[in-house]
Amino acid sequence: MANPSATKSRKPGFLDSRSPTALLLRQLGRRPLTLIAAGLLTAVVVIALLSPWLTPYDPMKMDILHRLKPPTAAHWLGTDEFGRDVLARVMLGARLSLLVSFLVVAFATVMGTILGLVGGYVRPLDGILMRFTDALMAFPDILLAIAFMAALGPSLFNVVLALGVVYTPRVARVVRAATLVIRELPFVEAATALGVSTPRIIRVHVLPNLMSPIIVQSTFIFAFAILTEAALSFLGVGVPPTTPTWGNMIAGAQQYIRQADWLILFPGFAIVLTVLALQMVGDGLRDALDPRLQKVT
Amino acid sequence: MFTYILRRLVGMVLVMLIVAAVIFVIARVIPGDPAAVMLGSAATPEDVAALRTRLGLDQPFLAQFLIYLGQIATFDLGESIFLARPVTQALAERAELTSFLTMMSVGIAVAIGVPIGIVSAVKRGRLVDQGTVALAMLAASVPSFWIGLTLIRYLAVDLHWFPVAGYGPPDASLAERLRHLVLPAIALGIPNSALILRFTRTSMLDVMNEDYVRTARAKGLPPLTVILKHALRNALIPILTIIGLTTAVMIAGAIVTETVFGLPGVGNLVVSAVLRRDYPVIQGALLVVSGLYVLINLAVDLLYAVVDPRVRY
Amino acid sequence: MKSSVKSLLVTAIAGAVFTAGYGTAWAQQSAAKDSVVVVATVGEPSTLDPVGVTADLVSIITQHVFETLYTFDKEWKVMPLLASGMPVLSADSKTFTIPLRSGVKFQDGTTMTADDVVASLTRWTQVSPRGKTTTSAIESITAKDANTVVIALKTPFAPLASLLAMNNGAAAIMPKSVIDGTNPLKALVGTGPYKILEHKPDQYIRLIRFDDYVSPQGAANGYGGQRVAKIKEIRFVPVPNATTRVEGMVAGQYQFADSLPAEMLPRLKDAKGVTPIVVKPFGFPLMIMNSRAGVMTNQGVRQAVLAALGPKDMLLAAFGDPGFFALEGSIYAPGTAFYDKDSAKNYNQNNPKKAGEMLKAAGYKGEPVRILTSTQYDFLYKMSLVAQAQLEQAGFKVDLQVLDWATLMQKRGEDKAWDAFFTYHTFVPEPSLITFINPAYPGWWDTPEKSAALTAFNTDMNPVSRKAKWVKLQELFYTQVPTIKVGEFYNLAASSDKLKGYVPMPWPFFWNAEIAN
Repeated sequence: MANPSATKSRKPGFLDSRSPTALLLRQLGRRPLTLIAAGLLTAVVVIALLSPWLTPYDPMKMDILHRLKPPTAAHWLGTDEFGRDVLARVMLGARLSLLVSFLVVAFATVMGTILGLVGGYVRPLDGILMRFTDALMAFPDILLAIAFMAALGPSLFNVVLALGVVYTPRVARVVRAATLVIRELPFVEAATALGVSTPRIIRVHVLPNLMSPIIVQSTFIFAFAILTEAALSFLGVGVPPTTPTWGNMIAGAQQYIRQADWLILFPGFAIVLTVLALQMVGDGLRDALDPRLQKVT
Repeated sequence: MFTYILRRLVGMVLVMLIVAAVIFVIARVIPGDPAAVMLGSAATPEDVAALRTRLGLDQPFLAQFLIYLGQIATFDLGESIFLARPVTQALAERAELTSFLTMMSVGIAVAIGVPIGIVSAVKRGRLVDQGTVALAMLAASVPSFWIGLTLIRYLAVDLHWFPVAGYGPPDASLAERLRHLVLPAIALGIPNSALILRFTRTSMLDVMNEDYVRTARAKGLPPLTVILKHALRNALIPILTIIGLTTAVMIAGAIVTETVFGLPGVGNLVVSAVLRRDYPVIQGALLVVSGLYVLINLAVDLLYAVVDPRVRY
Repeated sequence: MKSSVKSLLVTAIAGAVFTAGYGTAWAQQSAAKDSVVVVATVGEPSTLDPVGVTADLVSIITQHVFETLYTFDKEWKVMPLLASGMPVLSADSKTFTIPLRSGVKFQDGTTMTADDVVASLTRWTQVSPRGKTTTSAIESITAKDANTVVIALKTPFAPLASLLAMNNGAAAIMPKSVIDGTNPLKALVGTGPYKILEHKPDQYIRLIRFDDYVSPQGAANGYGGQRVAKIKEIRFVPVPNATTRVEGMVAGQYQFADSLPAEMLPRLKDAKGVTPIVVKPFGFPLMIMNSRAGVMTNQGVRQAVLAALGPKDMLLAAFGDPGFFALEGSIYAPGTAFYDKDSAKNYNQNNPKKAGEMLKAAGYKGEPVRILTSTQYDFLYKMSLVAQAQLEQAGFKVDLQVLDWATLMQKRGEDKAWDAFFTYHTFVPEPSLITFINPAYPGWWDTPEKSAALTAFNTDMNPVSRKAKWVKLQELFYTQVPTIKVGEFYNLAASSDKLKGYVPMPWPFFWNAEIAN
């Protein structure tokens, strides 16, 4: 550990404290790549949120006479087969792709945490719950999603439901395993001995310690969700093409691969950049939150 | 050991029962009517209703479910509505292609992932390592269908090195058939090689920090011997298990890849079955694929148990 | 050199040349004899029995294996195929006598007789969507003798000959022995120039030359006339992805590809060894409205839809290239027997303002109009998007539901579930064959005026006065507006330059064609 007096001469601030957040931020600070990726992600999220005000053209407005034009000063990313501005649609697509994935993550995290906690705490239910998650995990994710989408019909809500169900077991397993470990830790045992109620123990002691594995899982599920939504749209069973997502933009542009490859390129790049950034952030977070490394700080 | 295996097997049967029930419900809840699809646009609702009765689609759900369970027990997966042949036969006809495709993709993924993963671990922290990790993440970010479309465009259409689509003419030789699978295997193998690469690297890093490796190095053994004979051998088990799990993932990836390349494999069959509302095929294929998944997971778990006595609890 | 050696040498050289010459000829002949043509189609057909379904894909394949009594020549007039001559009508038009050719062989070795024809036609009236439209008109079907079949009619029925000539929902002739009432056929046996060798679903359907095929006489004319199976094997390969069909053609993997996106014409023009084919006439897209239930039962609302839509933008978005569509309101295009301009004058109004006023006058209260569409047919999907925009401009509230084809097919049968849906109709030579003319077809156009006009049309055996009756029907079509005809469109297909003698028609066929080396 570095000699405290030899580092900085400024007054000790928040970042030097021992709170978990400060520790995390310090760890992240050592990883410039992760910070860049996080910055990129933030930019994408901001664009997605503000897209209704940022789009240069109405993404749904058709201009049949100017269809399939390559990138020009007027349309930075060109126009599609209906003459709609591609840049506007990529931005709108960001909104939807991210929204879908975010909702999927929210669904999977909440449901998975509940299931995992129940499994970790309520012994008799553990067995059957784990069999149930095993059953759900027995399906390849895209297969289950296709079947769900066919059963429920194509709509944004159904995509979220299908993918949420697909990823819930993964969170549940992680949470259950972590819960089983945390339960046996000395301070939890001490709290139980002191007569603290179980819900309070869960809220105050268990959940905070679950945050790190959950957050790490979430970034990866977010990435999977974006890729799987794109695949579902490609197969024709995703979000209906009336509302653009990056995935269904690529699906619709297949037949123009020769004369208008920008229609595939730009949504494709958007997917790659976002998923890459997510992976880097996930990796960085996992490394930063790794208890083994925390000792070194 | 024996009781452990027995317990796992019982658990597996229970899981498969739940799987079967879930599949049945999904297949029945799907809207759209196989009879309407089969008859074409000019059919009247009366024609459609008549076909439904003939296909047994108008019986009560519970009756259909019980028949279904009974059939599974005897490995009878029913008859495909659209293809007019047993589901098991339809699956068997396509199994060859999907197995070859999966094996080739795993081969490619391993051939790329393992060596580079080892090199990356050995050169930890250096530019090579950081570069390959970044490249691996990039490879895992690209949707496999995009890779497929690009491969088709440049290697098949422009350069004529490989066929554009399909599995070859009826009398094609094995070599000819495998040639049709090269591009799909690459498209499927690249994103998954990233996973294997990262995992190999981590596994090797863990092992290389172990005492016995440091001892070997201290003894002055040549670095290559240290890597291959000591580190790799012990890192191999977790690597093998990830390969096993990746195989399972590949089966899912095959669905999209088969669609892009027009390959008549199991994955394509499932997608067509969903679009044609061919209930027996949807059910049968889902059952078989998830059954395979469960078996692979079981094998992986057992492998762990065999190797690591601590696992049996 | 010694003369004996010289003569030996000459003989040897002559012999070599002789053998080489013949050898190459033999090789070429056997190559032609063993030739295979690979045809890329839009997908896997639901069945290979041509009688029960009207799907184009099924008829394209099965027309090589099964034949009907009559067929269409290149001007879309009925001509004999398995019949030996045109049908003979009695004076009151209620008896329809069909003379049959003799000595026609089935693919199972037996010879066709009137009994086989009677059994086949009876099944057709029970199983085929087209055959079923005849039940109110046909009294009986009997064999007068081994080579004559008599159909007794309750009333004169003008479309009968055309119905017997259609190749989908086809009145295909099969041996009596393979027919089992309305159940599936016991075997797929026909009289056509090709028979089914092997069928691997989702991989290929192999048709092989039927060596004992007995061809009709006369020069080849449209679908009729002489049929010679020059190609040994026709292999139909399902390739659902349109781009793959195109690229496969360019790469030489297929010798013929059907239903290609109009956008890819430049690609096909530039490709070596491949010739693009534009098939004209081909069909017309339709927006069918629900006359039985919902907001579209109001005729004023339907007329407002007609006023609001601008077919030009719809077709341009759908097909891209103006060479692939025509703005034609008459249900039958110029050049065909049933073309009429005046009764179609309400077409292409493109007037959202007028439509808005008509809506108010009709009492439209803003109920959402549920329009079903599917991305299965790319061009339909695209035009439905444009239609939605145009209708909304006129003041309609539109609920566009994008479904997969199977769900759309199911939903359109439920009258409470939709108000309009998009589909397309292939060109058919006989107006009675058009789906929406049939009151039982979804849309359910069934007004008293139309029923009367349709009966008048169907019972008039005189072609000239019949045309006038069709014009009356088209007038009703444009005043009662049960359906919107969007325009005409043409199909893009592609054939290899090595495929010689191919005659472009809707429902492509490959007899009389051959592969050159």
